[in-house]
Amino acid sequence: MDRSRIIELLARKMAGEANSSELEELASLISRYPDSVYYEELLGQLWQESPVENEHDTDDLYQKHLQKYAADFNPDLLLPEIYPDEEPSGKKSYKAFATIAICLVALSSLLYLTKSTAAKTDTQIVAGKGVRKNVRLPDGTMVWLNSDSKLSYSRQIARQKKRIVHLQGEAFFDVAHRDHQPFIVKTDRMSVKVLGTAFNVKDYAVENSSEATLLRGSIELSVNERAQQKILLNPSEKFALVDGQGKKGGNSPHSTDMTMTIAHVLPVTIGDEQYIEETSWKDNTLVFKNETLEELKPRLERWFNVKIHIESARAGSYRFTGAFKKEEIREAMTAMQLIKPFTFNLKEHDLIIY
Amino acid sequence: MPEPLPELTELTSRIALYSSEHAYEKLYKFLYPGLHRFCFCLLKSKELAEEAANDVLISIWRNREKLIAINNIRVYAFVTARNLCLNLLNKSGRQVFVSLDDINVDIVLKTKNPEELLINEELKLKLDEATSALPTRCKLVFKLIKEDGLSYKEAAAILNISVKTVDAHLVTAVKKLTSVLQLEFNLIN
Repeated sequence: MDRSRIIELLARKMAGEANSSELEELASLISRYPDSVYYEELLGQLWQESPVENEHDTDDLYQKHLQKYAADFNPDLLLPEIYPDEEPSGKKSYKAFATIAICLVALSSLLYLTKSTAAKTDTQIVAGKGVRKNVRLPDGTMVWLNSDSKLSYSRQIARQKKRIVHLQGEAFFDVAHRDHQPFIVKTDRMSVKVLGTAFNVKDYAVENSSEATLLRGSIELSVNERAQQKILLNPSEKFALVDGQGKKGGNSPHSTDMTMTIAHVLPVTIGDEQYIEETSWKDNTLVFKNETLEELKPRLERWFNVKIHIESARAGSYRFTGAFKKEEIREAMTAMQLIKPFTFNLKEHDLIIY
Repeated sequence: MPEPLPELTELTSRIALYSSEHAYEKLYKFLYPGLHRFCFCLLKSKELAEEAANDVLISIWRNREKLIAINNIRVYAFVTARNLCLNLLNKSGRQVFVSLDDINVDIVLKTKNPEELLINEELKLKLDEATSALPTRCKLVFKLIKEDGLSYKEAAAILNISVKTVDAHLVTAVKKLTSVLQLEFNLIN
């Protein structure tokens, strides 16, 4: 009886599942039956033996694994190259191919034009409306470029003291860490300085607000008009800068009337899944939470490459929460119609909501 | 016993949120040996087990966006491996349904340096013999807990049994081992 209890307790102890009262009980039983020390010793030896360790060369195996499933991973590129996001449809890849061609033309012409200032930006990557891109910079930094955005940088970026890129629009950066080469993102309204982190920057000229969202690490941010004032951001924080003037464009970029806010980023739960609204676009998901159609308009326009005209003020003030993945514009609109009553008319690239 | 990596959850979230290949590489190297061992004892073929382990890992990579909802990536990987192996076994030949209980699992006891230990080759054979008579699930529990250092809870989730049953299986296996030791070393009850 006692023996079988000892074995039972020993088994739990080996498995690391014995609680303190069981360990005490075991200790007292062993002191009562000194012979049982042997069991503990022998079982301990059996337990500790290595289970055929080092049988696998995991480095080698991992290399083979990468080769076998090469299609699933980013090719290791030394030169910046543009490739479309995983989109199986042939139509999309043609489109992407066309964009690449255009980019290359733009690139080469740019190279000629800016030869004298080669140290500045000599490479430009453009994502048109309805297109999103994933690029690896020469220094190893991964960049996801959202629709209707432009990123320019120097090909020498990996060797520069400061890695500077210029952004118009929105991009997500996963910066390769380099101790003595800070990475700086400059937009029309602000600049963000980092060493190695992952963050999202959004600054569309057509919108009167710019944002920076940090997922990990830390970043130092300054607004161009107040260069002296540095703002430090912690993980999961979002900085937003809103121009104080009227909603629609035409506001001079020199207005000093602006609002700055720092807020926490909370994941949005839609259906069974959680999304981070600010960065989900890079995984081909458009997420919005409690936004009016009017507010959504620029995002939808970029996402689906359409021009949206909202002719009914009532429809414009409807609020929506949702996520779109593979949906086409027509499917998306039909889904939104289920939530709030409105009618739409889609012709080529024009969408009229009334 | 491999130490459970404390940053396993961090690795997983890095894979899920940033598609970090570096994090995936670390996860791969950590999980591969255990998965290979587990698949090998179900499939009985080195090559098949290698393929299965790789398939499990690539499926983790392909479904990385959903990983954030997973609490324990190790258990998830082992459960995926179990399902994959059982599917393979069910497909290959015999249209008979294969359950975990029908598979012959071998427990191999290996020691680093036999000379220094009380346990020699001969005794090990005896121990192997004794454990080979145990029921399959009992052997799997023993392997998962001893070789992979999993907790009761994790092993229970992988084999789809209760924690109490895991405990019972482990105790049975250890009792079997000690009964051999008892004879060998003339230990009293």
